[in-house]
Amino acid sequence: MSSTGARLLGARLPTHPMAWWIWALGLAAAASRTTNPFLLLLIVAAAAFVVVARRPLTTWARGFRAYLIFGLVVVAIRTVFHIVLGGGYGETVLVWLPEIMLPEWSAGIRIGGAVTAEGLASAVYDGMRLATLLVCVGAAVTLADPRRLLKSLPGALYEAGLVVVVAVSMAPALIESAVHVRRARQLRGTSARGSRAFRSIAMPVLDQALGRAVALAAAMDARGYGRVGSLTVGARRTSAALLLAGLLGLCLAGYGLLDAATPGSVTVPALVVGVAASVIGLVIGSRRMVRSRYRPDRFDLRSALVALCGLAVAALFFLTELSGLAISHPSTFPLDWPQLALIPLIGIAIAALPGVASTPIEPPPELTQGPLVPNLLAQGVLESEVGVGHRVADRVRVR
Amino acid sequence: MSIARTRPVSAGPPLAAGDARPVRIGARSASALVIATVFGIGAFGWPLLVSPDSGIAHGLDAPLIFGAMLLLVVAVVLALLADGGMDAKAVAMLGVLAAIGAALRPLGAGTAGVEPLFFILILGGRAFGPGFGFVQGATTLFASALLTGGVGPWLPFQMLGAAWIGLGAGLLPAVRGRREVALLCAYAAVACLLYGFVMNLSFWPFGLGPNTSVSFVPGDAVLDNLTRFAAFSLTTSLGWDLGRAITVTILVALTAAPVLRALRRAGRKAAFDPVVTFVPQR
Repeated sequence: MSSTGARLLGARLPTHPMAWWIWALGLAAAASRTTNPFLLLLIVAAAAFVVVARRPLTTWARGFRAYLIFGLVVVAIRTVFHIVLGGGYGETVLVWLPEIMLPEWSAGIRIGGAVTAEGLASAVYDGMRLATLLVCVGAAVTLADPRRLLKSLPGALYEAGLVVVVAVSMAPALIESAVHVRRARQLRGTSARGSRAFRSIAMPVLDQALGRAVALAAAMDARGYGRVGSLTVGARRTSAALLLAGLLGLCLAGYGLLDAATPGSVTVPALVVGVAASVIGLVIGSRRMVRSRYRPDRFDLRSALVALCGLAVAALFFLTELSGLAISHPSTFPLDWPQLALIPLIGIAIAALPGVASTPIEPPPELTQGPLVPNLLAQGVLESEVGVGHRVADRVRVR
Repeated sequence: MSIARTRPVSAGPPLAAGDARPVRIGARSASALVIATVFGIGAFGWPLLVSPDSGIAHGLDAPLIFGAMLLLVVAVVLALLADGGMDAKAVAMLGVLAAIGAALRPLGAGTAGVEPLFFILILGGRAFGPGFGFVQGATTLFASALLTGGVGPWLPFQMLGAAWIGLGAGLLPAVRGRREVALLCAYAAVACLLYGFVMNLSFWPFGLGPNTSVSFVPGDAVLDNLTRFAAFSLTTSLGWDLGRAITVTILVALTAAPVLRALRRAGRKAAFDPVVTFVPQR
């Protein structure tokens, strides 16, 4: 690629976390539209390919394997449930298990009995769909650190996001503090167990943590955190009214979805109005926050491409489901061999595209070269504002 | 003067001595909480409410659609609560309590049902009021999901469920001493069982799928579906839910008095209630 082209595509900017989430949710939406085991496996393969190619070099990004294992567990649980509590679906009996008869009031619950090929296939297909969905979420979590997403939260949710950032950066410190208190007790030769140990370890840790909260608040206050900007009374009222209207719309739409008797002419507008009013209300409310962002994530062309890939996959799978049910949902009764078709396969290729088309991950600079702080900044260790904040707060004592 | 700023802060009803209210609930956030609760009942109880020919009665769609909507609903409620007044002190206190909850969560992983997270949530909601409890529940679950990698379609449901527990703890009647501990223990047992029950209910069709004899049948009589649901709970999560209810109740019984004392002392030290206003010079 020419250097101009690379610049145009923003070769230097890392992919925006929101783009990864849109891509992964697109894949998840695609997976929810099919029970074809081959297509589901291909979606998992595409997600895994992109994860392997583009996962950041942080400890955070090692969790993808756990999601894969969890997916397998889901399929296994479903299969076991089907074998033990199967509902007599299908006619090709594989095994007869001893059956336990339950009384009349048990609403048709059956333990044991025939295990059929059709029933097993349907349980495994359905389990695979759920597992694929979980793997897609896992891919998003691995590729886009949700903590970076917090930085892109709208200002109206600034405080809630800040709470989460404080919590995430302080939880390890708490465990450290517990270890310190325990060591101090051991040095003093006390070795109480049970509820006594709780009092002598947990209470000092709690007191320390609460004291730290007060100190952190003072440090944040002194630097203008949580300061409310200039939003007129009118704008605040508009924002609140929009948010409440949005909530009402969402509530109406939710119950409309549940009840088939509600005409679509009520549910759909309620949903649209609800979402729109909530989002606009959040945007207007965001103006009350005056803040600058350190190293904001930018949504460049490459990020847009990643997001578009996800949307395209979802669209192609919806199209497949609309056009031919046999490909999206292979018949399990009678049991047929699942077929593949061109359109979903194109979708799979598009799903894997970000693995080559998105910005490559740059290895972090070596810690030993150059001054420490710029290096830490480059690695994102010092990135969170609060991380800096409470290091300061540790030095501030409030009387 | 440039920093002249007067911001209406709802005073609220008079409080019992020593109870700080870092997150105030005004008329707006109160109505938001009511609407969100009504929506949440539908989102959690959808298997019992859905009509059989509704488009979302089958397959995986309902929990996903409701999950996405719930995320927006929780975001809107949090925005309205924050707008009602949440200063740096409230943010810091919430952050620390959410950190304690998130740090406690891995302790329970792997041990059936031991989830100590809920006890700090109940005590936090009790000491600092319903608004604080709501935000604490939502943010604790979110933060712990980030720390333990538990992000999934169930997260919005967990956030609202935990937020309800914190809110409820703040709304309990004002008693002190031993009666308070007894009240909190009873609340902890009921809340933990209900939490497990509604989480299970909303993900029962999603987690189990069709075609087993304990599966959800859309549009079947509520009682029959409930019987199958009870059988499903019995075989899967009842041990888990009971374990959680018992451990949380025991934790509350043992620690409520000292922990509440520490929280209330911190609340007094932080002095949440006095509101500083700048009056322009004339």
